[in-house]
Amino acid sequence: MRHVATQAKELEAKPLTEPVLLILTSLADQPRHGYALLKDIEELSGGRVRLSTGTLFGALRRLLEDEWIERFDQEDTSRQKQAYRLTAAGRKQLQVELDRMRRLTRAGFARLRASEL
Amino acid sequence: MKRVYEFLLRLYPRDYRAVFAKEMSNAFEQGLAERRDQGWGAAWRFALAELVGLTIGAGIEWIAKLSTDSSIRGRSLSDRPLNAGAFPNVPEEVSNAQQRTELLVKRIVHAISHHDYIGARRYSDEERIARESLRLLRQKYQINE
Repeated sequence: MRHVATQAKELEAKPLTEPVLLILTSLADQPRHGYALLKDIEELSGGRVRLSTGTLFGALRRLLEDEWIERFDQEDTSRQKQAYRLTAAGRKQLQVELDRMRRLTRAGFARLRASEL
Repeated sequence: MKRVYEFLLRLYPRDYRAVFAKEMSNAFEQGLAERRDQGWGAAWRFALAELVGLTIGAGIEWIAKLSTDSSIRGRSLSDRPLNAGAFPNVPEEVSNAQQRTELLVKRIVHAISHHDYIGARRYSDEERIARESLRLLRQKYQINE
């Protein structure tokens, strides 16, 4: 019963957009400020995704509203360099999305292998 | 180029600008400086993409402002003090520290009420640090509690 309920809850969760997924992934290991996020996202995506500041801060605003991330005061924090970090809800959401992607990847590779036989 | 960027930032809603404008401008400046090292072509491409992204972002933010409940919007815009007038008789530095401490207390209460005890402990640690820095600031400005 619990299993069914969990599955239903996961299905209810909307798939994350690529910028949001990359932002959450970037914040998974440590808090980062705006420019550090831009750089890390570019690196994470192998140079494929370069977010503009407009896109990044719009996504950060939405993530703050959803309470998936929160502001984090570092020692050297100034108004120009505000750091952000994942909340427990954001971490959970990232985990759910990565699980979903893992299932999809596994299924995709299985079908590719089957078609090669 | 920075002036054009900051001019376009004025297209954003005021509450959004109050919180994010300086961070955005700072990130743009850092990005531009890095691209300049790679050559003027890279810098121009970066600046153009930024200006287009900024203009589109402004439209999106206005739609978000008009379609989002203010209590939800407050979650993203209220964490940092928007004005120094919240505690009119104390310096801004002290006022900000005071608001930060109060915010952390609210977060502790919220975390406990949602049975997030790990989060509550984390906020409690932060609140202790914030309270100490508030105490030092009050000492510096000779303000009684």
